Amino acid sequence: MPRLLPNPLRSGLVEDRTSDACAVVIFGASGDLTRRKLVPALYNLAWGRLLPGGFAVVGVARREKTDESFRAELKQAVAEFSRRRPIDEGVWGEFARGIGYVRGEAGEPATYEALRAHLEKVDAERGVRGNRLFYLAVPAAEFGPIVEGLRSAKLVSPAGQERGGGAWTRVVFEKPFGHDLQSARKLNDSVAAAFDESQVFRIDHYLGKETVQNLLVFRFANSLFEPVWGRGHVDHVQITVSEDIGVESRGRFYEQTGVTRDIVENHLMQLLCLTAMEPPISLAADAVRDEKVKVLRSLRKMEASYVSRNVVRGQYARGLVRGEEVPAYREEPDVAADSRVETYVAMRCFVDNWRWSGVPFYVRAGKRMARRVTEISVVFNEVPHALFRAQDGGIAPNVLSVRVQPDEGIALRFISKEPGQQTILRDVAMDFRYGTAFGSNTPEAYERLLLDAMRGEATLFTRRDEVEEQWAYVDRVLEAWAADGNPPPPTYPAGSWGPEQADDLLARDGRRWRKP
Amino acid sequence: MSASPRQVLARVDDELRALWAARAAPGETPRSRARTANLVVVAANPALADAWRPILDEVVQNVPARAIVVGLDPEGPDGLEANVSAVCSLAGSDGSPAICSEVVSLVARGAVSGRVPSVVSGLCMSDVTTTLVWLGRVHTDDPAFAPLAADCGRIVLDAAEGSLASLANVVYWARTRAPADRPGVADLAWTRISAWQELCARMFDEPRLRGLSSRVTKVSVTQASEAGAALGAEGALLLAWLATRLGWRATSLAGKLRLLRADGVPVRVSLHAQTGPGADRHALHAVSVEAGDESLAMVGQITREDDAANWTLAIVPSGGERSHLQHRVRLVASQTARLLERTLRRPLRDPALVEAVTWADQLRGEELACA
Repeated sequence: MPRLLPNPLRSGLVEDRTSDACAVVIFGASGDLTRRKLVPALYNLAWGRLLPGGFAVVGVARREKTDESFRAELKQAVAEFSRRRPIDEGVWGEFARGIGYVRGEAGEPATYEALRAHLEKVDAERGVRGNRLFYLAVPAAEFGPIVEGLRSAKLVSPAGQERGGGAWTRVVFEKPFGHDLQSARKLNDSVAAAFDESQVFRIDHYLGKETVQNLLVFRFANSLFEPVWGRGHVDHVQITVSEDIGVESRGRFYEQTGVTRDIVENHLMQLLCLTAMEPPISLAADAVRDEKVKVLRSLRKMEASYVSRNVVRGQYARGLVRGEEVPAYREEPDVAADSRVETYVAMRCFVDNWRWSGVPFYVRAGKRMARRVTEISVVFNEVPHALFRAQDGGIAPNVLSVRVQPDEGIALRFISKEPGQQTILRDVAMDFRYGTAFGSNTPEAYERLLLDAMRGEATLFTRRDEVEEQWAYVDRVLEAWAADGNPPPPTYPAGSWGPEQADDLLARDGRRWRKP
Repeated sequence: MSASPRQVLARVDDELRALWAARAAPGETPRSRARTANLVVVAANPALADAWRPILDEVVQNVPARAIVVGLDPEGPDGLEANVSAVCSLAGSDGSPAICSEVVSLVARGAVSGRVPSVVSGLCMSDVTTTLVWLGRVHTDDPAFAPLAADCGRIVLDAAEGSLASLANVVYWARTRAPADRPGVADLAWTRISAWQELCARMFDEPRLRGLSSRVTKVSVTQASEAGAALGAEGALLLAWLATRLGWRATSLAGKLRLLRADGVPVRVSLHAQTGPGADRHALHAVSVEAGDESLAMVGQITREDDAANWTLAIVPSGGERSHLQHRVRLVASQTARLLERTLRRPLRDPALVEAVTWADQLRGEELACA
């Protein structure tokens, strides 16, 4: 196929980063994700003039709706959840012209026939040129039927034909991608029957966060940090993903998943990969993802005996969060009174490779903890010889902490002399905050990820082997718990930093958790 | 006796320190000081500097910086006046501190006008980027301009308020600098036309229309002005951008300017005037591009309507049915603060601007009047 010539007027347009004309088809159009995240993100892109001229949004869901009622619903969502408020009527007017709705069930062929007819109309009216981004904002159980429906209805164009001027098709899957390794593989196989891997975008919205992207820049665009980034200088690494909220209305979902599947398998493993990975040869999607996969393959295997010594789980009991009394997990709606689902997990992991040999990575994730915070902390070795004595004993090691949320930034803790006649040592911090440096109007993660998917840039999305390696790692933990009869997890008071056993996990190594 | 510049600067330093010395009182929102860039704005007169103060107050809420705005009054009695303030963005609801930028306003009168670079360099924070926004015409040998420009990372002009010739001179001056010391050159008029560039590019996005980009037959540019006015900076930059991207040469025939495509075929250029908003700076009002070959023809049109533009594209295949597409696009950056903010966020080096300015400079002296 002859390669399509580039548009000469696009060469050197430095300011705007837009995509080809396309239709974004959202399955699960009545859901919370569509309302709270996807459509506000698309509107924000439209506001910033980052959407192509030929653009349409097509919602697909079970409920009966007209195009008009769907538009009204989405306008309400944008008014409530967009970071660009109040709504700019001019921007909304043009954006809304491209919004349409198709009613249908995921498993019914008629849904896809109706969708095809709608898309053909959109192609003609909006100049979308046959390019489609299918966004599956639905439970994982519906992924298979939708993929099959799209394939059977011939709504999937062959991979790579856009290079010759043909239309492209891409598909975005929301997490969770599978329930365990076996289901993830099965799902991947069914996806692979319809789509080439280059057309598949598995979303982990953490990767769209500015601070997470900045991890690569911080590590590989500064010569200062990389030489000390490894076993020679790092004592250990701590990664915390904590939330102060409980399961809210997601009790039924949480009973099926638990924090290990909900957070560790994806967000936490991705943060670990970005912290531990080697420099990629380029920023091309596969170069970055190759390095992340190497980290996952280097993780020390979690044998059953290892799990009991190195993994702690917990479940929140009643407690106080921000001064308010909150119920125990087992008292939440749709949660079994004798539930054994973990709402907290802490792990001691090792990346068995040249750089990280012997350096523990302590990772933890939990609900109803003291604060909502996501943070990566690299704790450096203590000085080899104690020349100075701090008043309270030892000298605290240097800590580099990358705050992913909230209050995004990077802080380096070091020791300084307090002004005065005596040599009194104090911890101080060099503190870089995103808001202070760049202003506060940071794009939402979904804006970046949606635009990347429309542009076919896959660096910030997880590849098939990555997802399967992540599941392989956590599966061993889940299997070890199951083999042990799945005993009730120890409880921790809501509003605390987790169960005592998690403190013991570090105390055994002479370390302790940070209180970020 | 008025204070010497040195005394004034010492007072400014004290006031800047005092801004941050006090702790937040109980119940007061804590403030965090932004120290990430210097934004130096030099205006040709104090009134223009005053007019830019509220613009800067808006800009530094989104681009945290120490802003130094200088009004020049070379004809006045020698002296330097200064005023210091902090501009804070709203704190988040989670109790996070408000982010505050410092704004230093200066008026340099008489001989002090020529010493402004020394005054400003004493106030700039070290180890952070400095951007110089120069309002009005500029001569690269101006003692107030050259040292400031040499010390900054980026120079921002506005060809619509100054002149295209000024912009070209600064581009040439920057070229003479060693690459490591070469500031980036940006222009507010160039940022203003970015939406028009994007819309022109859309005309050739469709794969079957790509080939027509080398088959343009006619370009019409309409600017907001009285009939007979010379083509303004926005129109000239857009025309130059089209020419450099599409490989057109400027030649003349019988003393009249002609544009030739790469294949030697002339491109008809038609310039029009229409009264409307932006007439003061001869803002773009409409652009149309016609192209065609034996099998396909297209006409793309962009027309301004208030703060938005209507974009239409008519495609006529030979012997086929005419198709028609239409979009309405918000013209971002119609407000000066947003425009400057957007300009500051663009990449430092913009080869397309340099090429377009160099190309447009060929037209110096040509009579390009809008009918």
